[in-house]
Amino acid sequence: MQAADRRDSIVLIAPVTAFLLVMLALPLAIDLLYSVSQVSFENLRAPTLQGFGNFLKVLHDGAFWSAMGFSLRFALVTAVAELLLGLFLAIFLAPILARWSFLIAIFLLPMMVAPALVGLMYRLILHEFVGVLPYYFVLWTGDSPAFLDPQNAFWTLAVIEVLQWTPFALLILYSSYGAIPGEIREAAAVDGIRALAQLRYIDFPWMMPTILLTFFIRFIDSFRVFDNVYVLTGSGAGGSTTTISIYIYEAFFKQNDIGQAVAASIVLLLLSFVVLVVLLRFARARR
Amino acid sequence: MMKGFKSVLAGTVALLALAAGSAQADVTVLGWPGGPEEVALRKTVEVYNARSDVAADDKVKLIFFNRDGFWDKLQADLAAGSSEFDINLVATYSIGRYAPFMDPITLPDSAKQIFSDKVLATQQFDGKQYGVPTDLSLIYMYFRKDLIEKLESDAAWKKTYGEISQKYLGKTLEPKAPDQWTWDDYAATALFFTKGINSSSPTRYGTVLQMKNLLFNMMVFQSSARSEGGNWLDENGKVSVDSAGYRKALELYKKLYDAGTSPKDSLSYEFPEANAAFGSGQVATMMQWNAAFADLNDKAKRPVVAGKIGTVAPPAGEAGRFTHIHGLGLGLNKSSQHKEGATKFLNWLASADAMVTYAKAGGSPALQGDAAQQLATDRPDLVTLGEFANKYGFIMNGGTTANALQVYELQAKEFTGYWAGTKDLDATLKETSDEMGKLLK
Repeated sequence: MQAADRRDSIVLIAPVTAFLLVMLALPLAIDLLYSVSQVSFENLRAPTLQGFGNFLKVLHDGAFWSAMGFSLRFALVTAVAELLLGLFLAIFLAPILARWSFLIAIFLLPMMVAPALVGLMYRLILHEFVGVLPYYFVLWTGDSPAFLDPQNAFWTLAVIEVLQWTPFALLILYSSYGAIPGEIREAAAVDGIRALAQLRYIDFPWMMPTILLTFFIRFIDSFRVFDNVYVLTGSGAGGSTTTISIYIYEAFFKQNDIGQAVAASIVLLLLSFVVLVVLLRFARARR
Repeated sequence: MMKGFKSVLAGTVALLALAAGSAQADVTVLGWPGGPEEVALRKTVEVYNARSDVAADDKVKLIFFNRDGFWDKLQADLAAGSSEFDINLVATYSIGRYAPFMDPITLPDSAKQIFSDKVLATQQFDGKQYGVPTDLSLIYMYFRKDLIEKLESDAAWKKTYGEISQKYLGKTLEPKAPDQWTWDDYAATALFFTKGINSSSPTRYGTVLQMKNLLFNMMVFQSSARSEGGNWLDENGKVSVDSAGYRKALELYKKLYDAGTSPKDSLSYEFPEANAAFGSGQVATMMQWNAAFADLNDKAKRPVVAGKIGTVAPPAGEAGRFTHIHGLGLGLNKSSQHKEGATKFLNWLASADAMVTYAKAGGSPALQGDAAQQLATDRPDLVTLGEFANKYGFIMNGGTTANALQVYELQAKEFTGYWAGTKDLDATLKETSDEMGKLLK
């Protein structure tokens, strides 16, 4: 009986195991091989082993660290902004959304547009001769700023990202805010609690896990941003808007240095692990 | 149950065999999608397939990827040894990269009557021909005929022009016909037609520079560097980008950008943005690909400038007048399973009949001799294209090597950094030269 159970277990687990092996383990093994090889499109099937040269190249490449810096700054700024805006809207609009729930669908519209398309849209919107924004700037002030020049590109890209993804924060945080039991608020009201105190002592602590989760999801998503930035500014004048995803893409496809691109991905993976471990410890400590 | 399963299996095998057989029966061409090249290729293939001397097994069928990321996808497919297509697109700047996955071809002798050596060279790598040159692109200087005519004739404008050129360029210049311009004349005209410099200018900007960190923008820029004597490699094969020619051309772009002669967002401009600016009627001159002309001169789309646009080769520098050329072509996939049929099609494609058909259907081949004359009525623009390509066309030394694309990418990153003011010129040229040395060794 036990043998039959074991056999059934193996049969049942086999497809998933095979799937994981093919879809995850095999690519990872190839990646590890490529990361220690001299490999380009010409010798994809026969890479030349060269040790840890690709990793050293990446770690000594100023452009890699510059891209890491850009992505970190971008992720931090946009995740914080989306969180604060989303939180504000979730609480401020809660009574309205509770009454007219269809408004949620309208607020979510920006999320439904593909990021690459958002990039294209803003190329039009921000263009000095055909764009809506420059038109009104010129009309009202006589001049229009250069939204995408190296001085302003970071903030323009950040605002576009925030406009597109704040609805995500709004959706999650509104759900969390709505899940706070009514009796707790009623009890607090009976005790004469003021609105700000209710936010501080009831709403925020209750929502804190969701707030953290929202922040981290948005941080991760913004950190790996590619589409809209690439469409709008490419890697920017002198590489000024190179995100880590763009760095890896360009090393892979544009520079044909697949070993370097894969090594950069693995460095990124290891750094992400470190961040993840720190975050998990932080979360456990809170518990 | 078992019998049913066997029937299904047998049927599937038969279908697969049929599909494989039919795949081998045709010559499959992977073309450039979504533009006049696709329309032209469809028509040309239609004519080829209708010929009585084309065997059923040699009929051509077409497939197209999406244009976005086309070259990356093609590269991945070729590297993977795909035999899904027998003939694939190839471009001047990527021949060296794709050559390891393609077979060189030998064009019929008659091809030399149709294509000039310069045009054939756009599809050559390492002394071998890799493609039939189907479409040629080059850079024109676009200008507003109405404005330049007034500039040449209006005394008050001439006087202001002289004053502005003296103030910004240190020499008093007089307006000339655009086909006589040097880069100084271009700069003076750009300054004159900039509202911020000359408040009576009818346009907001004198020119529009495409300065986005993008390899295609570097191709536009090369014409000015080449005309000042710049080249990627010298006659000994040594990297020569750190030169007076490149220095002068880079400084000119920066000077014009800093002076406000080009829109403030020019560092994010590429082909469509520049066209939109010029098409708005607020820009007097522009260096742009020949492909932009039809759209800009379309009254329905660009009513402000249509009918008022002139085109000449880019201005002359110390080394002469040059225009960057590159071409699209069709070549033979090394992994093709139908090379004989594919070669027959490529040989036919290099004939005058095929190229005239292709041109009349919307393609842009640069032809010469009788073939070019056959287009004089339907496509006069292609006659000019062929003439300009032969007279002013150039490909940088090393421009078709395996790492040519990386060189453009490198230059795009470094040069835009200088134009944006994040790097000085000496460091820019030194780093470009060092990195090019690694790429072109």
